[in-house]
Amino acid sequence: MASTLALIDCNNFYAACEQAFDPLLQGRPVVVLSNNDGCIVARSREARQLGIGMGTPYFKVAQQLQGLGVVVRSSNYALYGDMSARVMACLGARVPELEVYSVDEAFARTPALEAGALLAWGAELRVLVKQQLGLSIAVGMAPSKVLAKLANRLAKVDPARAGVFRFPTAAALEPWLEAVPVEEIWGVGQRLARWCRLRGLTTAWALSQANPALVKRQWGVVGLRLQQELRGISCLPLVQGPTPKRETCVSRSFSKPIEDLRQLREAVATYVVRAAEKLRRQRQLTACLTVFIRTSPFQSGFYGNSATVKLPLATNDTTVLLQAALPLVAQLFRRGYRFHKAGVLLQELQPLGQLQQHLFVSLSPQQQQRREALMQLVDQLNGRFGAGTLQWAVTGLQPPWFMRRGHLSPSYTTRLKELPLVQAR
Amino acid sequence: MVVGGFPSPADDYIEAGLDLNSLLIPHPISTFLWRVSGEAMQGAGIFDGDLLLVDRSLQPRPGRVVVAVFEGAFTLKRLERFRGGLRLQAAHPAYPPIDLTSATELQIWGVATHVIHPL
Repeated sequence: MASTLALIDCNNFYAACEQAFDPLLQGRPVVVLSNNDGCIVARSREARQLGIGMGTPYFKVAQQLQGLGVVVRSSNYALYGDMSARVMACLGARVPELEVYSVDEAFARTPALEAGALLAWGAELRVLVKQQLGLSIAVGMAPSKVLAKLANRLAKVDPARAGVFRFPTAAALEPWLEAVPVEEIWGVGQRLARWCRLRGLTTAWALSQANPALVKRQWGVVGLRLQQELRGISCLPLVQGPTPKRETCVSRSFSKPIEDLRQLREAVATYVVRAAEKLRRQRQLTACLTVFIRTSPFQSGFYGNSATVKLPLATNDTTVLLQAALPLVAQLFRRGYRFHKAGVLLQELQPLGQLQQHLFVSLSPQQQQRREALMQLVDQLNGRFGAGTLQWAVTGLQPPWFMRRGHLSPSYTTRLKELPLVQAR
Repeated sequence: MVVGGFPSPADDYIEAGLDLNSLLIPHPISTFLWRVSGEAMQGAGIFDGDLLLVDRSLQPRPGRVVVAVFEGAFTLKRLERFRGGLRLQAAHPAYPPIDLTSATELQIWGVATHVIHPL
């Protein structure tokens, strides 16, 4: 029996997490906003039904949402992260292989079952996640990843399928793929879509049947693999465990524009601290640091610039990275501009080695060990008592530019002081 | 590191230390910590301000203390059989039971398994 792949994802994940811990939100329209309460990034089913668009800037619709009785929430990353880990652990215990693809979706190899039994298995999985975590999932099954992604969407569009759909064998794919516009295939970008359209390959079926030599000449192996996947021949393997990241970026828009150097330094320092934490969590070092700043692209007199420094030796030490980054901020800063966004990009990442001799940094091995122990301690304390328990003074205290999250729900599952309350009355 | 000398005769009897997490939380994926507010479950040993472990993977059978959604709030009660149906029973004389007639839609969020109460 050919093995089957599944794409399993959570419906309206962010909004559903909010609804799971607040009974007043159940059955009501809920939207979740992006960083700085910028745009709508998630909508509950009820909010979708009201016709609220994805990606709509919040300020444009704030009044309208209030009139419609829509509940608005800021992104609660602590809550979503914890719930995501629980969902993945729950799925991981029930499939032979799982590839966590994003915060709310995963590819999986299904158990070796016959067609009918597979649908029943998917339905059971749905019931299980609903009961254990209060979240709805959809399960799309197919012989390949690209088809599993399409099957997942088909599982959702027709209520009769109850969130579970499986593509038939490769022989019966035509009517299904004929109905899928080429743009909606996973992995088809704008350029490939345009190329297909120009040649009359408007549907997934047409692309799957196109001349392979033509596809290969223009799109290489990547194009051929996509074609094979659409024919139900699996070419993209499941990737288990996190792939080592090649680069790490921390960047945010400010809640208020920044005009002076001191505040800009604080902002960049904060991002450096975050990026260094990420690096240590990934057990990696960086040898190349970039700082970038820019004004709003929607206002006249745009200024944006970046500067990069190569580090003499790869490191994940916050102090070393701050010493490298802060001079760059002063170099990039221009008086008279209102800065809107800044970021830190760490590149040339490498795995944490056994021996790190700092040839050009005047630290003895003992001093070096103590620095590493210090970083560990900082990470532990911030992990246990909340981000920012221990911080570098250069990041500023309660800065005015910090992320705006005016509609934040409690960190129900990660902070002792914010646990959900049950009434015994 | 090299350890010399005689092996300890106790080596064969070393056991893993006791772990409260595994003792109290057999299902970590579906177990959540809650905070109790109010006196209505005092008779069951659950007091105002206590921490409560709630497991969503357990079946809410009669006799169990449950977190239920009732009239737009989370409420803590014991699920009981009553005249062929079910009701939510407090553990305090001042709080009357809530009868769950067929008209009332009851949603059980999870089953309470342990209470953590400071002495």
